[in-house]
Amino acid sequence: MVKRSLAAVLAASVALCGCVQTRQFADVQFTPPQGNYKLLVLRPDVTVGSLTTGGMVEPRADWTDQARKSIVDALRAQQSARGGNVTIIERRNQLPGVTAEELAEVERLNYVVDQSIVLHKYLGDYLPTKRGKGLDWTLGQSAVNLGQKTGYDYALFLHAEDQVASGGRIALGVIGLAGCFIGFCAPNVGGSSQLDYASLVDLKTGEVVWFNVVQAGSQVPGIKFGDLRTPEGATQMVERLLGRMKPGRAVREQQAREKR
Amino acid sequence: MCGCQLNRRSLLLGGGVAAAALHTGAAHARVRPKDMVPLVGPGFRPTDRDEQGLWKEMDRVEEEIAGSNLLITDPKLTGYLQNLIGTVGGPAAKDFRIYLARIPDFNAMMFPSGFAVIFTGLLLRMRNEAQLAGVIAHEAGHFLRRHMIRSWRDQRRKTDILAIGSMLAGVGGAGAGVYLGDYVQLAQLGAILSLFQYSRAMEAEADAMGAQLIADTGYPPIEMANIWQQLIGEADASARYRGKRRRRGSIFDTHPSEGSRMVDLRASAAEITVPGKVYDAQRARYLATIGSIRPMLLDDQVKLNDPGASQYLIETLAQDGWNGLLRFYEGEVWRLRNRTGDEARAAQSYAAAVAYPDAPADAWRWHGIALMKAGRMAEAKQAFTRYLTMKPDAPDAAWVRQMAG
Repeated sequence: MVKRSLAAVLAASVALCGCVQTRQFADVQFTPPQGNYKLLVLRPDVTVGSLTTGGMVEPRADWTDQARKSIVDALRAQQSARGGNVTIIERRNQLPGVTAEELAEVERLNYVVDQSIVLHKYLGDYLPTKRGKGLDWTLGQSAVNLGQKTGYDYALFLHAEDQVASGGRIALGVIGLAGCFIGFCAPNVGGSSQLDYASLVDLKTGEVVWFNVVQAGSQVPGIKFGDLRTPEGATQMVERLLGRMKPGRAVREQQAREKR
Repeated sequence: MCGCQLNRRSLLLGGGVAAAALHTGAAHARVRPKDMVPLVGPGFRPTDRDEQGLWKEMDRVEEEIAGSNLLITDPKLTGYLQNLIGTVGGPAAKDFRIYLARIPDFNAMMFPSGFAVIFTGLLLRMRNEAQLAGVIAHEAGHFLRRHMIRSWRDQRRKTDILAIGSMLAGVGGAGAGVYLGDYVQLAQLGAILSLFQYSRAMEAEADAMGAQLIADTGYPPIEMANIWQQLIGEADASARYRGKRRRRGSIFDTHPSEGSRMVDLRASAAEITVPGKVYDAQRARYLATIGSIRPMLLDDQVKLNDPGASQYLIETLAQDGWNGLLRFYEGEVWRLRNRTGDEARAAQSYAAAVAYPDAPADAWRWHGIALMKAGRMAEAKQAFTRYLTMKPDAPDAAWVRQMAG
């Protein structure tokens, strides 16, 4: 259940409003992967649930399976369009030459590093020692070893969760809206919401080179800003999350100089 | 004093909500073991949408737990536990998975999709196989009675009612011109309390079911009540050492109080024990199986810096007979506590420990140090020599060799 907590913290950090927000950070030297690169996607963590009338999230196995398939398809299409060679693994024992324990170690390490990134980049607990350094985190030798053993250039960690407002939740919002006419106005009980984040690790250096968070949600049940269950919704999410990877600051400055 | 004015109309409107809120907190009658019919059969797979969703989430949780580096993977121990749950697990016995985590606490848990995790602290406290089987059967009972999905649904239903009730109270109150916010808060508290109460009711069910399961398998069901007696004694001893009182139950507890569980289990045991039937607690088999890790279990406990509890535990285990291992760790409790007179107490324990054939090497080492401090060098040297014979590769071997001359 540890995974949930990071998501909860992130959800709380992004301002609650009816909109779509993204915020990405990159290593100063980061250049978005282009051309012939090998990308390893480790166990995409996808959950789709129904938001009950009372505000609990009921996980839905069928929606989750549907969404995972749509996301994986969209991810493959997007990366191969950029020239990337993508492998997506679903279980820790599916990577040849690497034991499930080794992979678990990398995943767990990445998880705590992601937590640290969220704390110091998104939650306002900024570190003076990392000021102006872009994204300055690394998984160290364990990620380099993984790259050497498998021959991949990058590893991508992806988390996506979607909560779809149930009929009851929408009805609750409607009652709240109706109340506006007699002086008790509460249409904003909270509706569908989506939270996605991803981190890209360079397996040659072990560094986390890029991190992005997408939050899409609405306070009014019944209004949606994307639905992971549909292929369109999944493509939209993958595009929002990974579509516009910005190069790092040093690279951008270099590009600007070359233009001049 | 509440700043709001409660008039007659608001009282009438709010009465319903308040009544729901106050309908909690009543003590539960004991659940009778014979009423505990398993609600799942062998090879159970969820067919309801919400339960399928819950199982799906558990897939990843189990993968994470199964790969945790806190797990003890000794096949002798894991096989023993798997075999035990396969015996007392009722209709789902063959579907369960069980993991042993090295955490020095008294705890065990069952997850919605049928895998259990038990802590090593539990193995330390159990005096025989019947007690361990009782805890495992209790956990199996949660699965067999479908407690996870039932409490999830209870929670969903209550939050739904609360959300609709609060919204209607707001809108209705606005229409009628009264303020019902205070009742809404009361209803909120009521809903929360009833969730805890529901959880305690499930624990009582699992206790009753567990007692029935182990009795059917031939273990004396009274051993489940004995577990709680031991746990109460331990909590008392721990609190007494710290100059505090043992925590008593409250309306916010997820589990019934230890005392009420013990009393209910005693009554249940008396009810289901068949006169003339032979029950066996299988103490010898239990000790033979966990013997290899018992030094580790005791070591982890003693290092928790809870001398009250550690002393109580060791003395409880010693009710089945003192041995070198228990005497040595008794000495360790005194030595690490380090109050006035504890050094002498520890020295006595080490001296007693080495009189047993199963005294661990470290007992000889500390016995030697105690003798050396008392100026009995010749005896100390003998003890050190014994230590070095037992543990020639000890990290401090060079130092001890110098002491031993």
